[in-house]
Amino acid sequence: MSKVDPITTQVIRNALKAAADEMMISLIKTAHNPLIYEVQDFGLAITNHRGEMLAEGSGLPGFMGCLGPTVQSGLRALGSAGFAEGDILLANEPYETGTHISDTAVYMPIFFEGELVAFSALMAHWADIGGKTPGGWCPDTTDIHQEGLIFFHDKLYEAGKLNQTFLRFILKNVRFPELVHGDLNAMIAACRTGSKRYIALCERYGADIIREAMEQVFDQSEAMMRAKISEIPDGAYSASIMMDHDGVELDKPYKVWVTVNVSGAEMNIDWTGTADTVKGPTNHPFVGTVAMAQTVLKSLTMPFDPMNHGHLRPLTVTAPDNTAVSPQYPAATDSYGYVGEMVIHLIVKALSQAIPMRCPACSYQMFGGAIYRMDPRHGEPFIYIDPLAGGSGAFPHADGPSGLIFVGDGNAPNTPTEVIEGRYPLRVLRHTFNLNGAGKGKYRGGFGVTREYQMLEDNILIQTMNENTIETPWGLYGGEEAGVSELTVWTGSDRERTIRGRVYFYGPFNKGDIITQSSAGGGGWGDPSERDPTLIEYDLRNGYVQPDDQ
Amino acid sequence: MMQKRLAIDVGGTFVDFVSLDEETGDIRIEKAPSSGLLEQRFFEGIDSLALDLKALRTIIHGSTLVINTIVQEKGARIGLITTKGFRDVLELGRGNREEIYNLFYRPPPSLVERYLRLEVSERLDARGEVVTPLDEDGARAAIRQLKAEDVDGIAIIFLHSYIDPTHEERMRALVEEEFPKAAVTISSEICREWREFERTSTTVLNVYTKPKLMRYLSALEGELKRRQFGGTLNIMQSSGGITSIRAAQEGPIRTTVSGPAGGVIGVAALGSYLGEGNLVAADVGGTTFDVALVSNGQPLEQSEHSINRRPVLQPTIDIVSIGAGGGSIAWIDDARGLHIGPQSVEADPGPACYGLGGTLATVTDAQLVLGYLDPEYYLGERMRLDREKAETVIRERIAKPFGMSLIDAAAGIVHLANMNMAYAIRNITIERGHDPREFSLVCYGGGGGLFAGFLLMELEAASAIVPLNPATFSAWGLLNADYREDYVRTYLRRFADVGAEQLKCELDALENDVRSRFTDYGVAPSQTATQFHAAMRYHGQEHTVKVPILSSDFADDLLSLRQRLDALHERAYALSLPDSAAEIVNLQASVLGITRKPELKRMSPLLDGELLKGKRLVTIRDYGIDIDAAVFNRDNLAAGSEVQGPAIIEEWTSTILVLPDQAAKVDDIGNLIIKRVEK
Repeated sequence: MSKVDPITTQVIRNALKAAADEMMISLIKTAHNPLIYEVQDFGLAITNHRGEMLAEGSGLPGFMGCLGPTVQSGLRALGSAGFAEGDILLANEPYETGTHISDTAVYMPIFFEGELVAFSALMAHWADIGGKTPGGWCPDTTDIHQEGLIFFHDKLYEAGKLNQTFLRFILKNVRFPELVHGDLNAMIAACRTGSKRYIALCERYGADIIREAMEQVFDQSEAMMRAKISEIPDGAYSASIMMDHDGVELDKPYKVWVTVNVSGAEMNIDWTGTADTVKGPTNHPFVGTVAMAQTVLKSLTMPFDPMNHGHLRPLTVTAPDNTAVSPQYPAATDSYGYVGEMVIHLIVKALSQAIPMRCPACSYQMFGGAIYRMDPRHGEPFIYIDPLAGGSGAFPHADGPSGLIFVGDGNAPNTPTEVIEGRYPLRVLRHTFNLNGAGKGKYRGGFGVTREYQMLEDNILIQTMNENTIETPWGLYGGEEAGVSELTVWTGSDRERTIRGRVYFYGPFNKGDIITQSSAGGGGWGDPSERDPTLIEYDLRNGYVQPDDQ
Repeated sequence: MMQKRLAIDVGGTFVDFVSLDEETGDIRIEKAPSSGLLEQRFFEGIDSLALDLKALRTIIHGSTLVINTIVQEKGARIGLITTKGFRDVLELGRGNREEIYNLFYRPPPSLVERYLRLEVSERLDARGEVVTPLDEDGARAAIRQLKAEDVDGIAIIFLHSYIDPTHEERMRALVEEEFPKAAVTISSEICREWREFERTSTTVLNVYTKPKLMRYLSALEGELKRRQFGGTLNIMQSSGGITSIRAAQEGPIRTTVSGPAGGVIGVAALGSYLGEGNLVAADVGGTTFDVALVSNGQPLEQSEHSINRRPVLQPTIDIVSIGAGGGSIAWIDDARGLHIGPQSVEADPGPACYGLGGTLATVTDAQLVLGYLDPEYYLGERMRLDREKAETVIRERIAKPFGMSLIDAAAGIVHLANMNMAYAIRNITIERGHDPREFSLVCYGGGGGLFAGFLLMELEAASAIVPLNPATFSAWGLLNADYREDYVRTYLRRFADVGAEQLKCELDALENDVRSRFTDYGVAPSQTATQFHAAMRYHGQEHTVKVPILSSDFADDLLSLRQRLDALHERAYALSLPDSAAEIVNLQASVLGITRKPELKRMSPLLDGELLKGKRLVTIRDYGIDIDAAVFNRDNLAAGSEVQGPAIIEEWTSTILVLPDQAAKVDDIGNLIIKRVEK
């Protein structure tokens, strides 16, 4: 077997990364749904013929590593011979694809000279999937069928021919058919872009050279990852937390427990000790749990290296069947993100025992609200979703950043006050740091955010989301834990009430009523008594900390 | 006799000077290192061109002072006054994580510490109605507090001031009373667009850089006056138009990419001469590769850009910059992958072959090893390159670790650098809805000529054009700029609710406003032209498309305007929704004051005689060959000369490589136009 020279290998690797980037441009440019082009709630990849990732382009961190297993699930279901040139397939059964059914995967086999050589694949949050809650993210489902349409490697195009019946069936069963159709076309166009680029590369170098080059890249990436894992002291490191509840059994907290086993150049992340599958929709599918573990490993070791299958070889992820991080059919998973967020932070916490200087303290958890009016008899319907930014956990060498969105929401920006007021019957009275609820420490947690709204019209409601209000985000190495995110309703009136519940519907609010959302800060790092006097002086000068609070 | 024009472009490593004799069309160029005091370099260049300042009509200046001040965070100590409840907007930003895998991600630090960000009671609603009047006592107290803190400047931004700036203007008047020494910017004078964080960031950056730019330009003005310069000094803006010193001093944030903008304006000017409307401007410098598009003769603009992740709301030529150039470092990562850049060696010590102590392998070293550069003829013999040193770094740092030959390693470095640039061009073109195959490339900057042939091949572009004096082309571009003033204003309306008459009134008002700023340019009204644009979108969308408004639109009750939105949306997003409701978000008026353009000097036709300078062995990896390339001196080429590849064409600031299967032809103004030769 002749080795491909390192220059050609690098050229091919860069070309695949560029192809993934081009898929991403194509998707963002043609999608109709702001969750895709604005929030970038998608992931995409080019895999080899075995479904092993060659290159990725991702909007949200959770998607990394979900697409390979999705393609592999298709290979298991249909066999290599079950794919034809020009096929476009849909898949979203979460136990196979890793998140929730709103994140529907679209993928296509790539053929060169009659041979199946690769796949281009992407998954993105659809505007609607026909579940009980418009747009997905059901707070209280108890089985998957309540959450919407399930696809299992179904061919929308067979050998290049559109299945009209299937398309019509989909569009009849979703709430915003125009948007869904537009997004679907955007996803198909992106798949085809990836395919076109891969074939052009085959024409230039030959499919065998690409395969060989990428095998070499896998081996090199694996070697590098093994070297990075070897730097971590051997041992078994555990961390756990109680989650508030699953949205259905409201008085039942449940545990998520991780043990990271480091042994030489290999790592195993095991979830034994995690509660059984919960009744509500906060289960986190195992494919996604594995993907999150891979994300954290990449973040801790080589955050800026373009990822491929080789990086993942030294990592195994295990869990008993039927836990909250390994649910099976027909468990509900639509609100998987709460546990997903904690999966990331728990692995970091466990590893902070081994490599403290690479591990920040815990950040605030997912928090926000949807302010809306649905009934046209009460005024023009609207919905404004405000995932509030919050405080990040302190770093081992600096204070945590303030006012950043939670990790699972990636690069999604907040909505400016001037845009909110231009669009909805709301006035923002304050948008500032929430100076309560950041953990003290040698380095303190970042501050959360307060946003206060006054209603300009009647009959407006809010639905909140919150998490970890009982056991709050932790500090590390003597740093204090963070506070709790909270919603105050009827602020400043005699009906004022502060709510810390995980999921609530409140209202109706009428003209002049005020509600105040305040997100928590992050946990602290290190003993507060060791805090550098210049940092103390900085906090006092800027009013981040009051003199009597030292 | 006032008959000369001078352009001065300050870059990272060099200051470029191009002087034009308007009568004869003669161009003279000069390059000086850009280290040391800028004012000094400015006049040293003028001296070395032996220019008579009294004969100069105009000096056009592209400056990096503002962008460097921001990048290095060396601006003034300033305060911020804003609406009650919103002092943290500057630091809150948009809350997004730009690097999703970076556990230590942190937004850039706020340029105004929290204790210098003060609140005043006042409030408008989203329609511009006063909800709370300006609390003047509170305002004065805030100003006094900042005065006591001895700040150099104050940024003032109130919510919704893009609709009605009255409160901001009153606030500025109060500052002028209480603290006249402070530099002040109110947000509404620098941008009238919604989105408070972006507007705050823009306003803060403007005040932050203002004292420094004021000092610099005043110093230039003083010295020019002392030397009896009687013409005008103009400053290039990021929009590609020039402005007066006075306007630049009030709005430094309008000049952030003033240097690179010159190159793009030059490309557009060249395109109009060549009759080519679609061009990629590819500027290869020592440390960066800047790409911009000219489509239908117009440089593509964007309404927002960012500098070190700090947003700026200003009409700006859309330039994408990547870390790739002659000085880019070739390095091997832990997984034995070869990378080029984004880090580069500084001008000092530079690439190893400069012999100034550089020990890292760079693209320039690789080009020397491959025979593309003549060690004896670099920068027109002003510098001798050390081939042995280049060979050593490439052998030790790349070839040996990979177990490959020296030539293979050098060819690999050049090939990867080519591909990085090709991907950058590909991405910017398709991202903006174009097909690179429908564009010609204009390659300039000191390194442009060595990449032109490769990029032509890789992108399947129509042709690659290397202008005369490519290394100082951006400065030449400055000579082609018109005066320009812009006014962008947020005007949020459902399209169906806006009548032709109403829109006309709005635009007239905008235009009058912009024209009032034209008074001190001495441009005759007949020499001005106004362009109108609307940022439009479909209802429910966030992103907008910039749609030109033509005077004929008012005749058909805006029907063509609406159709233009659909057509442009289709181009940008492969989608149009002719049946969906449309919205206007912003209106923009741009007034141009047309300047006299430099005459392009005709080259004398081909002379008899030996053009060939010699032959040199070069290695071109894509052809897998070592090959004898003919070497030409560009000065000996004339209009109509044709050179078959493989060939090397040398001039004092640059070297051009023509690949096998390509031919380069000199046009009547001296451009080298490289095309594929059909076999």
